[in-house]
This record gives sequence, C-alpha cells and structure tokens, in this order.
Amino acid sequence: MTTASEHARPALAPAGSWRLPLGSARSGRSLLLDKRACVANLLLAAALWAACVASLCLGEVSITPRAAIAGLFGYGDFMDVFVVQELRWTRLLAGVLSGGAFALAGCLMQTLARNRLATPGIIGLDNGATAFAVASVLGVGLGIAPPAMALVGASVATAIAFGLAGGIGTQGYRFLVAGIGVGAAFDAITRLMLARSAIDAANAAYPWTVGSLNGVGALALNMLAIGLVIGLIGAAALARALGVVRFSEGVAQGLGIRVAHIRLGALVLSVGLTALAVAVAGPVGLIALIGPELARHLSSRRGVPLMGATLAGALLMVVADLAGRVLFSPIEIPVGLISTVVGAPVLLWILLRPGHKIGV
Amino acid sequence: MNGRPRIAAGAPQRRVRLWFALLCAATLLVCVASLLFGAGAIGPLDSLDTLIRALSGHTSDDNAWFTIESLRAPRTAIGVLVGAALAVAGALLQAVTRNPLAEPGLLGVSGGATFAVAIAIALGADAASLRVPVAQFGALAGCVAVLAASRVRGAGDDPVRLVLAGAVLSGLLYALTSLILLFDERTADEIRFWVVGSFAGRRPDDVIALLPGLAVAAVVVVGIARPLAALALGEHVASGLGHRPRLVRLLVVLAVALLVGSATAIAGPIAFIGLVAPFVARGLAGPDVRTTLWLCLPIGAVLTLGADVVSRLVVRPSELPLGVLTALIGAPVLVAVVRSRRLPTL
Amino acid sequence: MSFFYGRRRTPGLIVALALLLLAGTAHAARTLDTAYGDVEIDGTPERVVTLYEGALDSAVALGTTPLAAVATRGGDSVANYMHDHVPDIAIVGTARETNIEAVVAQRPDVILASSNLSEPQYRLLSKIAPTVVPKGSSFAADAWQNETRLFARALGREDKAEQLIEAFDARAEHIRAQLPAHTEAAVARWMPQGPIVMSSRIFAGRVLSAAGFETGNDGKIAANRPHSDPLSLENLDRIDSDWLFLATLNADGESALAKARTSPAFERLDVVQRDQVVPVDGQLWTSASGPLAANAILDDIARALGIAAQP
Repeated sequence: MTTASEHARPALAPAGSWRLPLGSARSGRSLLLDKRACVANLLLAAALWAACVASLCLGEVSITPRAAIAGLFGYGDFMDVFVVQELRWTRLLAGVLSGGAFALAGCLMQTLARNRLATPGIIGLDNGATAFAVASVLGVGLGIAPPAMALVGASVATAIAFGLAGGIGTQGYRFLVAGIGVGAAFDAITRLMLARSAIDAANAAYPWTVGSLNGVGALALNMLAIGLVIGLIGAAALARALGVVRFSEGVAQGLGIRVAHIRLGALVLSVGLTALAVAVAGPVGLIALIGPELARHLSSRRGVPLMGATLAGALLMVVADLAGRVLFSPIEIPVGLISTVVGAPVLLWILLRPGHKIGV
Repeated sequence: MNGRPRIAAGAPQRRVRLWFALLCAATLLVCVASLLFGAGAIGPLDSLDTLIRALSGHTSDDNAWFTIESLRAPRTAIGVLVGAALAVAGALLQAVTRNPLAEPGLLGVSGGATFAVAIAIALGADAASLRVPVAQFGALAGCVAVLAASRVRGAGDDPVRLVLAGAVLSGLLYALTSLILLFDERTADEIRFWVVGSFAGRRPDDVIALLPGLAVAAVVVVGIARPLAALALGEHVASGLGHRPRLVRLLVVLAVALLVGSATAIAGPIAFIGLVAPFVARGLAGPDVRTTLWLCLPIGAVLTLGADVVSRLVVRPSELPLGVLTALIGAPVLVAVVRSRRLPTL
Repeated sequence: MSFFYGRRRTPGLIVALALLLLAGTAHAARTLDTAYGDVEIDGTPERVVTLYEGALDSAVALGTTPLAAVATRGGDSVANYMHDHVPDIAIVGTARETNIEAVVAQRPDVILASSNLSEPQYRLLSKIAPTVVPKGSSFAADAWQNETRLFARALGREDKAEQLIEAFDARAEHIRAQLPAHTEAAVARWMPQGPIVMSSRIFAGRVLSAAGFETGNDGKIAANRPHSDPLSLENLDRIDSDWLFLATLNADGESALAKARTSPAFERLDVVQRDQVVPVDGQLWTSASGPLAANAILDDIARALGIAAQP
C-alpha cells in the first residue's frame, strides 16, 4: 500500500472528495474531505444561521434583523436589547446546544448499534434522566443540581438497558424493546413523584416532563456547552474508526482498531451528551432520531455524518422552538410536543417503509 | 414452550383445567381482599365481621357495611371486568398479529381511546355520559392502525418492529392529547385525574353501561377462538380448514376495540395488563390461543384488582394512580419477554 | 364599593383626601422590603403588570388599573369575579408559566409578583422594572393583608390599604357575631374518584376563620400540601362539617353539586343530609386572593347563611 501511494504522488483524491494537504507537501499528510458532506454541512450551517436570526427577531415583540443584531451587542432601544440579550439569546443558545447534543448523541448511538432506531430517547435514557432531574427539582435527591442528577439518571438507565440487553447483543430490535420497558418504568416513577408533590412544586417540575426551553438555568447551559465541545472533539477522534466499525467488526479488527474501546467511547459520549441536553431542554428525544436522518439524506452514505447531524439537530431544535413560540402566541407550545408531533410520523415512515433495511 | 401450537390439545388439557380452577380461586381471594382492605378507617377485621354478618342475613346501615357495599364492591367488580377485558384484548391482538409483544397500551389502542375522549371533552361533551362509545371508537381507530402496520410487508414479520411502531404511535397520540390539554384548561382539569387510571368513585350504573359492549365482545371471542387458532398455523392452513382469515381479523379488531374502549372509558388508560396476562397464560398452558384466552380471564382480574388493592394501601388516606403501578409491574415483564432466548412468533 | 369605607366613613374620607393631595404632589421615593431584598420605587407607578392573582386583586382594590395579568388557574383569562373590574386587560401567561416577552411588551413601571416567583425569573423581571415579591409563604396567617400592604406601598397607596383591611375586619366581625359558636366549615373540590380538600391555610380558609368558622382540618391532610390529592372516598367523612363549600373551576356550581350528589358516599355525609353544601366559584375560592376576593367570599358566606352582609 505504501508503495502504491508513493507512486501516486501527487495523490489524487478519490472521486467525490477533496484532498487538503496538511503541513508541508513532503510530510504526505492530508485530509480527505467528502464534497457532498461539505456542501451539506455548509447548507445546514446556512439554514441554522437563518433560523437563529429568525429566532432572535420573531416572538411576542417583533424586532428587525438589524435591531436584533445591534441589540445583541447592547445597542438600540432598551426593550429590544433586553428581549434579545436576556430572553431570546439564552433561549437560542439553549436550543442550538441541546439540539446539537441530542442529535450527535443519537448519531453516535445509531452507529454504535448499527440501527437507525437506536437513539437514546427510545432506549429510555431521556426518561431516566428526567426521572432523576425531577427528583432533584422536587427535593427528593439530596439537593444535587438537576444536571448532575440527569447525568446519573441517564447512566443508570443506560446501564440497565444495556445490561438487560447484554445476553441478546446490541443488534436487532430486542434491546430497543428492553429500552422501551426501562423507559416505561422510569416514566411511571416520574409521574408518581409528580402526583405525590404539592401543586406549586409540580408546576416547577412541569418543563422537565414535556421538554421546554423556557427558563433555562445558567449552570446547566454552561455544562452543556462544555460537554458539547468535548463531545464534538471526541466524536471527531472516533469518526474514522466508527466509519469502519459500522460495516464489520472483523475488518475493523484487521485494521488494528480496538473495537471494544471505540464502542465504549462512543457510548460514554452519547450518554453524557444526552444527559446534559436533557438537563437543559427536558426529554426532546426525537431530535436525536430526526437530526441524523436529515443529515444522512443530505450527505453521502460514505461517512458517519457526525458534524452534519449536530448541525441538523441544532437547526431542528431552533425551528421547533420558534414554531412553538410564534404559532399560537401568547400560548407557548413546549418544544417537546412539537418535536413529537413532527417527528413521530417520520419515525413511523422509517419503520414501516416496505422492503427497507433499518441498518445505518 | 413448543413453537407450533397444537390444534388438538390432548394430555395437557387436565393441567390447564387445574390451573384455571386455581386461578379462579385466586381471583376470589383477591376479590375478598378488595372488599376487606381500603384507604379508610374500616379495617380488615371490621370488614370481615360485617361481611360475615351480611352473609348470614344481618345487614345494617352502618359505615362499615356502606363502605363495603357502595364503595368497595363496585370497584371490585370494575377491577375484575377491566382486568379480564384488557387481558383478553391483549391475547387476541397477540394472536392476530402473531406477535407476543402486541399489547393494546403499547400499540396505541389505549392511546386512541384517550385521544378520542380528550377531543370529546374539549368539544364540550360531559365527561361522564359520552365516554364509553367515544373511547370505543378511538380504540377502534387505534386498532385499525396497528393491524394496517402489521400487514405492511417487513414490519409484520418482525414482532419487535411492530412494537416500536406502536410505541411511536402511542407517543404521537399522547402528544396530541397534551396539545389539546394545553389549549383547553377546562378539559385539562376534567381529564387530569382520569389519565392516570383509577377505579375509585365509579357507580353501579357505570358498570352496567359497560356490559353490552363486553357481552358483544364475549360472543365474538367465543365465535372466533377456533379460527384464530387455525390462523396461527398460517393463512393457507386456515383457508384450507374453511376459515376466512380476513373476516377473522376484522372480528378480532372489533372485539379488541370493544374491550379496550370499555375498559379505558371506565378506568382510564391502564398499561401492560394485556402484555403480562397472556404472557403468564402462555407460560402456564402453552401457546394455543383457545386455552390462553380462558386463562387470561382470571389472570387479568387477579393482576388488575391486586394492583388496585395495593394502590389503596400505599399512601393512605389518599390513593395511588393505578396506571403507574401497572407500568411498574409490566415493564420488567416486557423486558423478560424480549430477553427470552427465542422470541416465539405465535 | 361603599363597604370599603365601613363604619368609620368620615375619618376614612378625610384620610383619603389627604392622601390624594399627597399623591398629587409626586410620591416620595420609598424602599420596599421584599423577598429578594430592598426594592426602590420612586413616584406613582402608572403602568402596572401583575403576575399573581392576589396582586391583580389588590391593585384593582387600591384603585389602579393594571395593564396586564396572568390567567387564573383552570381558565384562559382573569377570574370571573375580576372580569368586570378589568374588562380588557392583557393576558401575559398562565399560573404555570409567565410569558416574559409579553411582559416586556407592556413596558411596565412596576411588576407585582407572587411570593413563589423563582429567583432566575426575578432576576429577569427586575431588569424590566422594579419587581415586588412578597416575603414569606402565601399560606401564612396574615398573608393577604401583608401582601396588600406591600403592593399598596409599591403603588403609593398605603393608607388605602389600611382602609381596605379595616373594612374587611369590620365585615368579618359582623358575620362572626351572627354565627353560632363552634361552626365548622370545609372547602373542597369534587372529583369523581374523591374530593380534593383545601387546606385551612389557603386564602379562603383564612377568610372563613376570620368570619368565625372553625376550619382546623390541618390534621386531616398532610402539611405543606395546600391542594391535596383526591381523598379516598372511604375517608369522605373527613370533609364532613357544619358547612361544606364545594368549589368548581369550570362547570357552574349547581351542576357540580348535582354531579357530586350522584355519589352515594357524598350523599351520606351529614352536611349533605342537612342541605348545608354551598356550591361556590372555584376561581374565587381556591385560586384567588386579595381584598376584593375576601369581600366576595364574605358575600358568598352571608348569602349562604342568610345573614346580613353589611354592618
């Protein structure tokens, strides 16, 4: 192989890719960029930018894009500055970060389980994180902050779901149904806690049960931002290996990839990202399914569209939140309900499309 | 468990009868417990005393007798009826989709009933009067959706894929229900305590309102048990034996809609009974749907009424939502079913 | 609203006139002691937004017309009894969630909120306008009186608040004098699977005990749960008392009572046998608070018991 590439220098990129030389030409290091994936990511980024501007402008008070941008930096009318800086910017940030985190986590888990339906929400992680976070809000949880409790909950749910699925492997759908069972149990516990608490405390815990970006805490948001950066770096590091692992473990082992390490890494990232995102936005699990789906449709089938999925998830979350705020104003529809109403038909279509495999 | 269901059951017949008798005795026991225990001040000993005196003809109008006769007796009857109905509905649905995971709650049949009731109340219907037919209609719609999904090539062959589709459909229906509640505070208030499931405060009239639907369903079930068992051997075999698979499926959908609609109308959505009861029944007597159906009657009743008795005792002087309790029982069983080494296709 | 002036009509009027003069000469800056520390308010606020039913009630009773308020529990506008006072008030949220953008859009001078406003919400709102959050729990003994005093200070109408409270005390005293000793009362909402019993520490309970009723049901329902779970029907005798006020949020009271009477357990209660169940407006009895609500509840009580409402 080495000799082949020596002869081919200056190397030609495979069809449909760009080759970016890294460092000096002599070092021979280069980066292959998939053309279609690049275009797709640019498209998604542009759409996300447009959605973000719209999200800053629209709402109970409409603001022109120019005033919104000015307001973001503290110029202009007091009301515009306040609405943009204090309300919409935090909310937008929460939407972008949580949407990105949900979708990245979903994409990682789908790849790891080689199943397009294997998203954290479906196997009960969201419900586990929610149950623990609600326990924290209602004061059952020793006063630990909701994000930390969500992390614990997601880990517990994962451990149970994967532990139960251990005997049957991660392939096929059985472990998904085991996850549905785990999710149902955690959901029952959440409802039980809400039914047993005073009405004001139950109202405080309400956003946790439907998924809402209203009233996001600064701590949870900061933790999510850090988590997403770590997640993206980790995902970038894992991307190549995951791309091989998803085809065949045998080939991956042949190439010297330590499959077990890769899978564990992807799982840990996925669980962590989901938990942090739940701590900010509540259970909005379907984003984890639709985001990667959208990214996969836009980009080529060659790689694992981790970046594309992150962008798509952020886009979907921002758009869903914007729709929930604007459509029936002044009543606000929680983003969790919107994403279920839109996402469930997509999911059904994936499941029931005749004659299609559901592998990644 | 033998994967091939037997049309002619021979030797195990006696064992099945024994189990059936034992389970009926257990049902009776739970019924007595349901009459004896409650969230109120009338303890089990007082209740027993009153009950024995009543049996020997000495009824009185004191509090103990009132509690037993007017409060605990109707909910006992409802518990038995709802439990048996949900269990049989589960067994039917599992037989016709040939899928051991097909459960009315998981597959969106209960979700359809809940959604229909929410719409009816939002449109101004009084919660009490319209509920039964509306819930049955909603359950019918959910049922048709499930069956349509199971007929899609690919999804129908794969038991777990159907359940996933059902779970998604349920999620969608509950999200739509939540949307209605978000826009209509009056509906939200009326329905808030109904969606968690409960048997409390139902009157004898409410029970009587259920009976026509349940009776029709019972007749249908008796009629289709044999063709359904034949259908388990495959469509060709069933046709060869002179049954009409399409008609059988249609009747099953009707029966399930009647059963689940009635149960949901009076008790709210109660999950997992339709999964757990047939699972236990098959474990005891093998996969033949005719025996499963019989055994489901007492098993469903014991499970549901037992859960109700527990729900009264845990958080006295209030009561626990029943749907939560059945979900806590049912989720582990669901996991156990999928974990069983070879998922039997029925 | 003549009853607000009560017995001491003449001195009250003089004080009010003096107050008006004072208010005319620009109210002095004042410091309010609120749950989130001292809040400075200067002058007489004109654009008032209330995020709490008690605040809306107090503000209206004190003679201001708020621009916006939150919807009552279980409704999509302000409570029925407030409707005629503020026919075209803007709605900026529900009891569950405040729409802060809608609050900003009103450009308020002052925001009056409830004592359980969360700190993050407070921090946001206080950037829009001085936000007044009462100290202490809304279940405390003198909660509504203290809240009214605080809101009155915020609005620059302290003396009017004292008049309102004195007038209420006088009316309550008048009803108490006509009531037989040791008369018990309970407040509940009817649900088919059992009633939701209201703690005696919620607003309506406080008004009832001010009017001379014994409302000690704290032993019957758990502490810090002002709105209890549906009580098991087997324990229905816990709401048995001399008078039962049956609240309903939606249907009209009579039909709610008719529905409750179809339950044999309810029918057995002594209070039902004696026909002393009074259907009342749940928005007023189980959600509202403030001087107007207090007087409206006194009206309901007087009407039910067939006694004179005014001294």
